Amino acid sequence: MLKFATEVYQCLIISFSLHDLLLNLSLFPYTVSFLLLIVTIAVFHFMTKPRTIYLLDFACFKPPSMCRVPYATAFEHGRIILASQPKSYEFQVKIFERAGLGEETSLPQALHYIPPDPNLKDARQETEMVIFATVDSLFEQTGLDPEDIDILIVNCSLFITSPSLSSMVINKYKMRSNVKSYNLSGMGCSAGLISIDLAKNLLRVHSESNAIVISTEIITPNSYLGTERSMLLPNCLFRMGGAAILLTNKRSLRKQAKYSLLHVVRTHKGADDKSYGCVMQEEDKDGHAGVTLNQDLMLIAANSLKLNISILGSLVLPVSEKLLFVINLIQRKIAKQKKKRYIPDFKKAFDHFCIHAGGRGVIDEIQKSLNLSDDNVEASRMTLYRWGNTSSSSLWYEIGYIEAKGRMKKGEKVWQIGFGSGFKCNSVVWKCNRNIEVPKTGAWADIIHKYPVFIPEVVKL
Amino acid sequence: MSPNIQVNVHSRLTVVSSTPTEPMGQTCALTPIDRAMASHSVHIIFYYRTSPFDKEGRFAMDLDNVRISLSDLLSKYPRMTGRLVRDGDGNWMVKYNDAGVRMFKASVETSIDEWLKFANESDERNLTVWEDMPYGDPTSWSPFHIQLSEFVGGGLAIGLSFTHLLADPTSATLFYKSWTDAERGEPSGHSPPILGLPPLDNTSLSTTTKNTSITKYLQDKSKLAPTSSKTMATSTFKFSNTIIKQCLYKIAEKCPGATPFDYLTALFWLQILKIKSSNAHSPTQSISLCIDARKQLDVPIPMKLFGNALSFSQLSLQNKHVAGDNGLVEAVELVHHHVNAIKKDDIVSMINWLESSHKGMDGAYPEAVQMYGPDLTCVSLEHLMIPKTDSKDEIESLVYDAKFRNNEKPVHVSYRVGKVEGEGLIIIAPSAEGGVARTVTVTLPAEEMAKLCEDPVIMEMEPIMILSGKR
Repeated sequence: MLKFATEVYQCLIISFSLHDLLLNLSLFPYTVSFLLLIVTIAVFHFMTKPRTIYLLDFACFKPPSMCRVPYATAFEHGRIILASQPKSYEFQVKIFERAGLGEETSLPQALHYIPPDPNLKDARQETEMVIFATVDSLFEQTGLDPEDIDILIVNCSLFITSPSLSSMVINKYKMRSNVKSYNLSGMGCSAGLISIDLAKNLLRVHSESNAIVISTEIITPNSYLGTERSMLLPNCLFRMGGAAILLTNKRSLRKQAKYSLLHVVRTHKGADDKSYGCVMQEEDKDGHAGVTLNQDLMLIAANSLKLNISILGSLVLPVSEKLLFVINLIQRKIAKQKKKRYIPDFKKAFDHFCIHAGGRGVIDEIQKSLNLSDDNVEASRMTLYRWGNTSSSSLWYEIGYIEAKGRMKKGEKVWQIGFGSGFKCNSVVWKCNRNIEVPKTGAWADIIHKYPVFIPEVVKL
Repeated sequence: MSPNIQVNVHSRLTVVSSTPTEPMGQTCALTPIDRAMASHSVHIIFYYRTSPFDKEGRFAMDLDNVRISLSDLLSKYPRMTGRLVRDGDGNWMVKYNDAGVRMFKASVETSIDEWLKFANESDERNLTVWEDMPYGDPTSWSPFHIQLSEFVGGGLAIGLSFTHLLADPTSATLFYKSWTDAERGEPSGHSPPILGLPPLDNTSLSTTTKNTSITKYLQDKSKLAPTSSKTMATSTFKFSNTIIKQCLYKIAEKCPGATPFDYLTALFWLQILKIKSSNAHSPTQSISLCIDARKQLDVPIPMKLFGNALSFSQLSLQNKHVAGDNGLVEAVELVHHHVNAIKKDDIVSMINWLESSHKGMDGAYPEAVQMYGPDLTCVSLEHLMIPKTDSKDEIESLVYDAKFRNNEKPVHVSYRVGKVEGEGLIIIAPSAEGGVARTVTVTLPAEEMAKLCEDPVIMEMEPIMILSGKR
């Protein structure tokens, strides 16, 4: 506050001095005053404007193909492991058939065993495989070195280690001793966007800095080993994946950067008990830990999205949409007319949509809520199909899809929507900074020509 | 008999192919020969003195190139990663659904040298854990198993077990060789495989059903009543290059083209006949010969055929012809001529006969008969001997050329067939030494085996006995 006041004061002093000087010289005193005012405002604006945060590049993890889980294998393992609980097995089959996943989603090695018997060592191996491969790709793509990194944020919800995962990265890459590291745990599938928010705030404070954000979920220790039906769903959806994103505020990298960060909107419905309890980690009667998903999940997700877009809308929607929304609001609330709630057309504000690939139901529900076309949600659907639900990194596979298809053009706006336990709904908006050619490397690189594919409602073996 | 050596099978997992099969779920019918073999299983074990896989971490074996190369190779063998289903008529066929191959991991409480000296056949069964299809229900049952067994001191045994319905020992050997080649980064001559027989050219057959010796033999076999099961015992005899060369040289005048298979078949046959009490009064003796039929079929590259391509034929001899000093030579000649006389027509008519006569009224095939047995059967693996490209005289076997990246040859390879009952089975396989050295695995009723291991004629050939239990 004091700094702000000082800067304003300094601007005004300079401006007044110039003002006096020019007035004595000029023949048009009022014009000069007016011009100087404009210039003062402009200088003030640029001096206090928050730094632009750029996304230099990002990399997504491509699991080794021997980790893949074909439908038949998943069904068979389920049948063998749940042999004593045929009803649980039938339920699991129903989920598999309708999940919207393809034949190439991946699980870590420990979970290919019958029965799986994962331990800490296995979990660390998966972590190292996922994170190191992804960060290696990121350094290669951006041309930066580990010494160039000033801020490191790792988010992984359900695998917590000592030393932390961020320490693991610092150790592997021999980063500088003054790197600012953060490790976010327990924040669910939207943690990736929370990490972006944290990186943004840090980059606003620290000038000329580079930040790496690593978003992943380590599956090995979190496979549900019990038979409780309400806890089987995550086993059917969660798959191995990870992403590493390089953010910067360095002016020298501004031309190279792919995106600039426009808005971050975070909403948390935790104050509402129902929202808080709809995704809950607990133990079943046999002591197996798992995540229970409440039946109201879709409804809660839709409500949290409504709250989020009511704030986001005011930031991004064109005047026409805002006007329509306000008119509709007046009609419903004040004039008490029986009209349907107006859903602003977000297609007028954004060119690309990335909806967290939480499951087929989530994508369908959001598509309906926002009146989006099938093309708009293609990236989300295809990511779910090819990679499964990779938790916080799924949004990056989705942007990767759009880039790989050659659809990302300079000036276009991308909206990433993440959902997570709590219940949280977070939005991040990016603007494409330059024309992006189809990447030659990356998770989608060799396979993009096969997509989009038709995904049947029910998969029958 | 010494107590069994402890083998602890500690893990079970599934290895999947790295690329999905296109189109998914395609079904593939089985040939008549395949169906005829259904009652048997095959077990092949490759023993290495040092494990070709790194030992760091629990998954070092998994995450190494070894598993990657295996997964990549399995993409070309949807017949191995698929599952059996019944077709409309109730017969088995394979569905290419990529379910994967079951893998087991075990540890053995002894070193590999001790094992090869003292283990017996039931110990070896623990290196290829196998379960027949439970209650005829093929769901969740993997027709192929791979087992990795680690020995004390660093040895490794890789065991392949599978149902004979889907492949014969040659197919599995060539698959395994392709795997080791792929892991070394070399191209394989046997991959991608041809899955299933191409349509056979029947036009050369005359219209009258040509009753060849093969079809007649099979007709007789199908009428045989099941034999009472006796306890069988197995021993392995390793004959060196020098000894076999000497033996072949001795008979070279009368039978110049004799192969080690011809010689050893004749030798064991005659010696076993002497031991068997039941044949004392019968004037004619017969043996069943199982010879690879790949070259006789219209397959463009025979060694790429993955499936069953075997011929079973009967060879008879008169006792009086093989009495006396020249008996062995006569027998060798008989075997040699018989093997060379198997022609394509024989195989084709065998397949046709299997196709037509086994079908019941409703199109369903009856439960498979025993093909290895009940009479004494002898299996040839001579076709796995390939002349080395750089040397005309030296012959190497594909079997012992199966080296992983560390370039180490297997120290021994065992071939076993499951559900062999009756008179016995002799498998004549290549040896680590190469050339004309051979490893002969004999399964006989237990009392006959005890006598065979002391037979003077065989002992004269200085065989090294391995995997025969403590003696």
